[in-house]
Amino acid sequence: MMRYKCSAILRSAGWLVLGLAISSSAAITRSAALAGPLGAVEAARRVDRLLSKELPQDSLTASNSPAPPDLKSADVGEPQVDDETYLRRVTFDLVGELPSPEEVTQFVLDSSPNKRKQLVDRLLADEKFGENWGRYWRDAVLYRRSDDRALIASQSVEQYLKDEFNRGAHWDEIAREFIAAKGKLNEAGATALIASQWGEVPETAAEVSRIFLGVQIQCAQCHDHPTDRWKREQFHELAAFFARIAVRPVIDNGQRKGFELTSSDMRFKDRTPAQQAKIKANLKGKKNARLEHFMPDLQDPTAEGKLMEPVLFLTGQKMEPGASDDERRATLANWIASPENPWFAKAFVNRVWGELVGVGFYEPIDDLGPDRPCGAPKTLDFLARQFAEHDFDVKWLYRTIVGTQVYGAPSRPRSPNGDNVPTTACVQPLRADQLFNALTMVLEVEETQIGAAPDKTKGYRGPRTARALFQQVFGFDPSTPRDELAATIPQALLMMNQPGLNRALSAEGPTGRRPGTMLARLLEETENDEDVVVDLYLRCFAREPKPNELKTCLDYVREVGNRTEAFEDVLWSLVNSTEFLYR
Amino acid sequence: MRYEHHMQLAMHRQGVVRRRDFLKGISAASIAAGTLSWTDLMSVHAGDLRKRGMACIVLWMQGGPSQFETFSPKPGHENGGETKAIQTSVPGIEIAEGLPHLAQVMDDLAIVRSMTTKEGNHQRASFLLHTGYAPTASVKHPTFGAIAAHQLPNPECDLPSFVRIGNQFRNSGGGGFLGAEFDAFGLPSAEQMPANTQPTTSSERFSRRLGLLGRLEADAANGSTAPFAADHRKLYDKASRMILSPAMKTFNIEDEPEAIRTAYGESDFATGCLMARRLVEAGVTFVEVSTGNWDTHNDNWPRTAELKAQIDQPFAQLLRDLKQRGLLETTLVVWMGEFGRTPRINPRGGRDHYPKAFNVALAGGGVRGGRVIGATDPSGAEVSDRPVAVTDLFQTFCRSLKIDAAHENMSPIGRPIKIVNGGSPVEELFA
Repeated sequence: MMRYKCSAILRSAGWLVLGLAISSSAAITRSAALAGPLGAVEAARRVDRLLSKELPQDSLTASNSPAPPDLKSADVGEPQVDDETYLRRVTFDLVGELPSPEEVTQFVLDSSPNKRKQLVDRLLADEKFGENWGRYWRDAVLYRRSDDRALIASQSVEQYLKDEFNRGAHWDEIAREFIAAKGKLNEAGATALIASQWGEVPETAAEVSRIFLGVQIQCAQCHDHPTDRWKREQFHELAAFFARIAVRPVIDNGQRKGFELTSSDMRFKDRTPAQQAKIKANLKGKKNARLEHFMPDLQDPTAEGKLMEPVLFLTGQKMEPGASDDERRATLANWIASPENPWFAKAFVNRVWGELVGVGFYEPIDDLGPDRPCGAPKTLDFLARQFAEHDFDVKWLYRTIVGTQVYGAPSRPRSPNGDNVPTTACVQPLRADQLFNALTMVLEVEETQIGAAPDKTKGYRGPRTARALFQQVFGFDPSTPRDELAATIPQALLMMNQPGLNRALSAEGPTGRRPGTMLARLLEETENDEDVVVDLYLRCFAREPKPNELKTCLDYVREVGNRTEAFEDVLWSLVNSTEFLYR
Repeated sequence: MRYEHHMQLAMHRQGVVRRRDFLKGISAASIAAGTLSWTDLMSVHAGDLRKRGMACIVLWMQGGPSQFETFSPKPGHENGGETKAIQTSVPGIEIAEGLPHLAQVMDDLAIVRSMTTKEGNHQRASFLLHTGYAPTASVKHPTFGAIAAHQLPNPECDLPSFVRIGNQFRNSGGGGFLGAEFDAFGLPSAEQMPANTQPTTSSERFSRRLGLLGRLEADAANGSTAPFAADHRKLYDKASRMILSPAMKTFNIEDEPEAIRTAYGESDFATGCLMARRLVEAGVTFVEVSTGNWDTHNDNWPRTAELKAQIDQPFAQLLRDLKQRGLLETTLVVWMGEFGRTPRINPRGGRDHYPKAFNVALAGGGVRGGRVIGATDPSGAEVSDRPVAVTDLFQTFCRSLKIDAAHENMSPIGRPIKIVNGGSPVEELFA
């Protein structure tokens, strides 16, 4: 990616003159040149065209293979995956699930020229869309927790985001709620980001910057940033916006009832004598330390440090000291989630592109620099500006990206040399929830039926369900570059041997109150072994078996001589194969 | 024509599918197979054999054990409370009552009475004492067990390199930026085999399944996930080799002779200590055994008495057993929690969190026993001699295990992170 570095720096510098307030009129003039918000189809077409100019060799493999009929209107001739692959890919990406065998068949046989677009519309309207991406962001926020008690917000943040995404909330609304959040952790899901750092001021500032701006300014906490241009003082000026946050136990009738994110801007003189005594004892005279942020003196860590005023490092926008917590956080939220702030749109676009296409414009997806190489700066600028023009409409962005030719291109392996570009549609490992959903669909079971033996102990995350078990074993921080993820032994053991899963994979008939399994029903309803193999392949991989695969399975059934056992083994093998774990 | 056929079957079963024209069959794009980018996890440092044979057992006391009631009694001072001191096998070294077995193995045990940190919150302190770093959102520091597994892998051993026994771990870290393959292999109870390690079918049929899986993976060789198949295969080979390995018997505590089980005692912690010895003997690099409830904000004396009764005999027996088997010289044993407890006794007869001055105990791995490092003043409030910071403690671990503490691992955002940042080993422990 090195060859893009120079243009990336120039590009970034064009967006932003650091240390100076960004010229907002310039930002508006530039976007005006785009002639307003474009529909997703037109925007996708422009993205493909821009990419083909920015990355000609990589994106367009000079193939003349004809595009599928429904994509013939596209300008560029990127080879496209077949319907089955597209269906499986986009279903996992948008709603976190596998298509059912019936959906695969229907989709392939559907002759409508607009079927891919119709599919995307249907998936974006499905409430599983919000659920899937709510879970994604739950992980993005909580995997960086510095305190396990933050898991109290695990279910509330998932639910909150699910509802927000499904009602069509825009990203700036969500960002504002996260930054200004208050309330009980188990009720107000937007508290999760600040709760993940348990209200620690510098850590909170660092996470807000990473998540919403894609800027890893925390490296400047102790010294000027080694590779970017941020100064230590700028980090602490950002931290000053969070000087008055507090995560506190909720006391109800003398009993501790969870925790809340709140403000701590009550003046010392307004506190009760008992509180004053406690604060004095804790702070040894530094009574302001609870109300303002001080940059520590590196030479003398015991000194009070330098009083910091809240300033947003990207724009130089500044607040008066002494403002209340509510004022500080609401102001920062407005400055961050603004169309005038290009970082905000870019950070989200880059992340979503990275997740859907497989490689972000910037990698890692939460490190945009400014002094980082960008894979295709003009394309990212275009998409980010359009996203801002659409008032940060989340579904518009998804619709646009999955409508591009690049998204629909055949997957390639990730190059080990770090030279992947944002046009390389890459295979992605399934996230824990996607994998768990896929298993429940393949096996036609309720979540509770795959089961881990129910564990009565209750962690911060809530009851230890089968889904929680999968999250624990297969979960990963979604901001981690995918080539740094590695599969683990407990993952393999879970898929191979977990007793509940194996029961669900078996062809066990109904016993007592337990219904028979999917495989039991399939074998009973389907006489022809070939039909069974086809169904299992459609079910597990959303495609038909290839002739050699069909032959292997049928040979195996013959070799074993016991139809039930043999098909249990086939299903076990499909679920344990590489293809099942990736999309 | 399989889709049409399938559609008819589906219609038959569900009655929902409308008949459409058959468009096209499968034409999977053939993808040029590229080289793998995923960490070849099974051969990480394969050449770096565990030549030195070093191992480590951490006895983790979740909650923060009181130093006054364990290895730093203050019987002459009001802060010491009712706790008396007892003689040990080493003249001049006294420890708290209630630890008679440990008193007998004092020759092999060293006490650091001058540990000092600033983290008085369970979560942050547990992370600090497990990683050597304060928790931060930007860098997920690996826990020391992961570092040891990374630095001292044992490819000869079919078992995981890093095992955690018990469920008293809070914010103790995992593989961190080293990757999930260095996470601890969890054993919630030493009485039971680890989860999912027993095939649900006969081992013959299990092998048959693995064979079919291999054939189907080969058949899918030109699919888009094929480049990952080699890693997947290695992982499944490793996992199945592990569960079919004779070494799995190590996890079966029932194999241990009754006399030895009795010598360790009867608590879960005792079984955990015995399991730790079995694992180290079988070649595992790092084992952590946890026990909890040391957070004695109230009723400090009856509670610590009970806790001491749980740990005294197994801890002492672990040292004796390792020594008898010739493993103590190569196995560092560390007893610690996340912090100590306040000198002042609170109105509920308890002690609160106190990171400023507390104790840890070490044995084996080159550590000379029968000695005390550092001291606190008569009130127990301040370290009066030889303060030992967390970085010093971790330097000491590295010194014992022959790990280069200055070795730099790369974090995902390209920042090199030393195994231990600063500090120096407590050399007096080895002299």
